[in-house]
Amino acid sequence: MHPRNWLPQLANVVVFILLEIAAFHLVTQNSALQRVWVAKGAHVFMGGVWGSTQAIRSYFSLSSANKELARENHRLLEELDAAREKLRAARLDSLETPFLPGFTHIPAEVVKVSHNKQHNYLILNRGYEDGIQEKSGIITRNGVVGIVDAVSAHHAFAFSFQNHDISISARLGEEGGSGLLVWDGLSSRGAILKEIPLQYKYQKGDTVYTSGHSLLFPPDIPLGVAGDSKVVNGATNEISVSLFQDFSAIRYVTVVHNNSFDEIEEFAQ
Amino acid sequence: MRKPEFWIAYVLLLIAQLLISNYLNITPYVMLTILPVMVLCISIRVGTSGAMVIAFATGCVVDLLSEGVLGLNALSLVPVAFLRNPIIRLIFGNEVFARREDFSVQRSGFGKVSLAMLLAQAVFLLVYIWADGAGTRPLWFNAARFGASLAAGFAVSLCTLQVLAPDPRR
Repeated sequence: MHPRNWLPQLANVVVFILLEIAAFHLVTQNSALQRVWVAKGAHVFMGGVWGSTQAIRSYFSLSSANKELARENHRLLEELDAAREKLRAARLDSLETPFLPGFTHIPAEVVKVSHNKQHNYLILNRGYEDGIQEKSGIITRNGVVGIVDAVSAHHAFAFSFQNHDISISARLGEEGGSGLLVWDGLSSRGAILKEIPLQYKYQKGDTVYTSGHSLLFPPDIPLGVAGDSKVVNGATNEISVSLFQDFSAIRYVTVVHNNSFDEIEEFAQ
Repeated sequence: MRKPEFWIAYVLLLIAQLLISNYLNITPYVMLTILPVMVLCISIRVGTSGAMVIAFATGCVVDLLSEGVLGLNALSLVPVAFLRNPIIRLIFGNEVFARREDFSVQRSGFGKVSLAMLLAQAVFLLVYIWADGAGTRPLWFNAARFGASLAAGFAVSLCTLQVLAPDPRR
């Protein structure tokens, strides 16, 4: 629009506003009622204006508020990490199995684990610099987890009990017969106790323990409870076992190493 | 500028408005006024700013010389002057401004002129009743006052129109 067109209109608006202000002034000066009314309206208006400006000011100060919150968040995260580290150390201490004579116990954390294969494995956050050795057992309070196969400086690779190549010596009940416990290959808590002589009687629900005949694991670690059984080749029982250990929820473990392992192995050869 | 007779008639009608304001207070529901139509009939050759100044002065005179709140009529009459050209353009079209002719019943028709008067009256009454009530009167009272005053003002304004905008063919 050309300035010639809108300048007169602007002038009209200005004159209108000035005259209205003058009229308002006259009204408010000569009537208490109108004065109070105008003052009330002015207060409402100013309240709105100040509220809006305060909101705008708050909006533009969000940047500094965000920075402050980020600093606070960083500090809290650091505190949380420190607390987690303390808690983790405390949990590792508490998860250590009771000291078993002749075995070295080293707490560790599982950093990687596989569940869905026929040959599952574990990787622990402890290596030979932490005292981990090959041919060590891995246990928890709930049973046997696996066997250390290879060790690096800070990590250890282990075969999980959920592996068709792994079998451990287990005993049925407090004084029952011993056999080999293997993963059933079907579920995370299913196992089979094989080669139990027929003369050993048992009942469903009896606890299965480590026998202690293996050099890898201490004796009397509860592993699971006995279930159904079947006779194999007319000579032994094969008993299904429901393990205590849930392999899908392993995090903290204890690596146990027989201090006499090398000596016994040498002697056996 | 129209004939000097217009301004003589304007002053006479202003005096008539003073008499109405001072002696013809029928009911609180009716605010009888001919001021909006007086401002509406000011020649379009007088610009909007000029019309607003005249309206302000007219309102102040009425306020000073009659009962009521000083400035109230001025406050209500200035918007009528401000909206006068848009109202005329809306109802009578741009031809009025192109020919620089003032409207009359005979030239523009009774309906259009009535509508323009009603709009001017409505603008005046809306501001007047709103400011006069100062938020103390209920809506129904203001609405009733607006309706009654608009009807009464329209009837009186028809007479005023014959004085300020007579048939040019006469």
